[in-house]
Amino acid sequence: MSVKLANNLQSGNVVILEGEPVVVIKAVINKSGRNQAVVKVKAKNLLTNRVSEVIFKSDDKLEGVMMEKKDCKYSYFSAPNHVFVDADFNEYEIDAETIADLEKYIVDGMEETCEVTFYEERPISVVLPKIIVREVEYTEPVVRGDTSGKISKTAVLKETKHELQVSAFVEIGDKIEIDTETGEFRKRLT
Amino acid sequence: MQNHNFTWDIFCKVVDNYGDIGVCWRLARQLADEYDADIRLWVDNLNTFAQLSPSIVTDADVQHLDGMEIHRWRADFPSLDAADVVIEAFACELPESYIEAMAERKTAPVWINLEYLSAEAWVDDSHLLASPHRNLPLKKHFFFPGFTPATGGLIRERDLLSVRSNFNESDADIFLGGLGTPPRDGAEIRVSLFCYDNPVLPELLQEWADGPDRIRVFVTPGAPARQVSDWLGEKLVPGTELCMNQLTLHAIPFLSQSGYDRLLWACDMNFVRGEDSFVRAQWAQRPFVWQIYPQAENAHLVKLKAFLTQYLQNFPDSETVKRFWYGWNGTGNLRASWRDFVAIWPSLELHTKVWVGQLDRTRNLADNLVRFVRGE
Repeated sequence: MSVKLANNLQSGNVVILEGEPVVVIKAVINKSGRNQAVVKVKAKNLLTNRVSEVIFKSDDKLEGVMMEKKDCKYSYFSAPNHVFVDADFNEYEIDAETIADLEKYIVDGMEETCEVTFYEERPISVVLPKIIVREVEYTEPVVRGDTSGKISKTAVLKETKHELQVSAFVEIGDKIEIDTETGEFRKRLT
Repeated sequence: MQNHNFTWDIFCKVVDNYGDIGVCWRLARQLADEYDADIRLWVDNLNTFAQLSPSIVTDADVQHLDGMEIHRWRADFPSLDAADVVIEAFACELPESYIEAMAERKTAPVWINLEYLSAEAWVDDSHLLASPHRNLPLKKHFFFPGFTPATGGLIRERDLLSVRSNFNESDADIFLGGLGTPPRDGAEIRVSLFCYDNPVLPELLQEWADGPDRIRVFVTPGAPARQVSDWLGEKLVPGTELCMNQLTLHAIPFLSQSGYDRLLWACDMNFVRGEDSFVRAQWAQRPFVWQIYPQAENAHLVKLKAFLTQYLQNFPDSETVKRFWYGWNGTGNLRASWRDFVAIWPSLELHTKVWVGQLDRTRNLADNLVRFVRGE
């Protein structure tokens, strides 16, 4: 554990609040009186996902948490968990509900390397690479000579059935790049 | 509304001047008088406290005054049980042993950091936010005094405004007569002067001496009296009167809190500073000028602006007030703005009464504290 001064908190820092790890979403310093300051912190509990606001004197100390992070690949789903594996073939289970936002991109055999964050040796979050490649299972066929002016259409991804907007020229079976941070289609791979 | 028999420990560290103990003493007395609170007031500097309340015995570890226990807060803090309600005034650090005593209670106390007063918008969103302790099962709440209903309010005794409204010109003459002042002589302007060291004070004194209006200034002890004496080249002694042209100066002795209230009510205009006198000057409903506690990187000017924005909303001569206040706080031309400022004094007094009417519609700080303690 490291010690962090409230004055030095930044977005992304992980500290312990009431015995549980929280990630700082925002920390705002305001000057109070007599050259003192207070720090208003918005934070998300890593175990419950609950977001709360708290406040500290600028020189209050908090327990910082050095989170371990590992590069892992997705392995398989074993209800209720997704299983990731590191370079040494160690397996890590993480509750599907915890990474529910990512399930639209997780497919068996996916090649991308993911970053798994651990708290007390327990995996608590996963970050996918910013750009991933997925196959289109269904989209409306391209109609030659279509002069409707339509520039995008809905596509359904293979396996996850996730729907997103893609360019009109995308066809069934195409491999497409997706930005996992914005959820947007980037380009079709030729 | 009664206190419901909670015990209270209020901790006060006197950092500088009289504001720390001034606010704590005023709040403690109101809680004891109006809410029947069972209070222990811990103060590290009884000498400063004794200036406000001469009944205080400066070398007593424990004494009783006005229904409260007053404890000298020493470095070797005694082992004792923590109260139901714990207030650390102005973010002072509580003794470690006391914090451990708080954690040992079956029920955690209500722990409050009574913060500094500010009119800035961020205070509304910060009031009553929790502050979990690093490793003990304790949670402090930050309590912000302020001028809006979203804050903790201001200290205001239950009968303050009614007593104020019954204080008339005759009462003012009697009170000031007790300070050695003759009755009002024609159209003189009575001013009380309470300020920090202020490099522009000599400029204002000269303007008063040279100006068209007769001005009688009641100079409080400490920094004001010292600066005025330096300007005069002669020591200003309590009970004496010194004149220079249109300006008459009276040094007054240190007044009790109720005595200072009456000084504010008796004067036509009040120069105040810090937090406690700043609030009392507003309740006095006279034009006032505030010297804000200076902070590094001019942080105080942001706070000054925030207050003026609220206070002067809908006042047509707001720019005149701002020019003079900023001049008093070290930016701008003070002498040039004084005559414009004094010219709007009647409308400013009326506006201040309207401002106080607005403040009066929000709950006072003690009331908000007790409601919070009771979980309301």
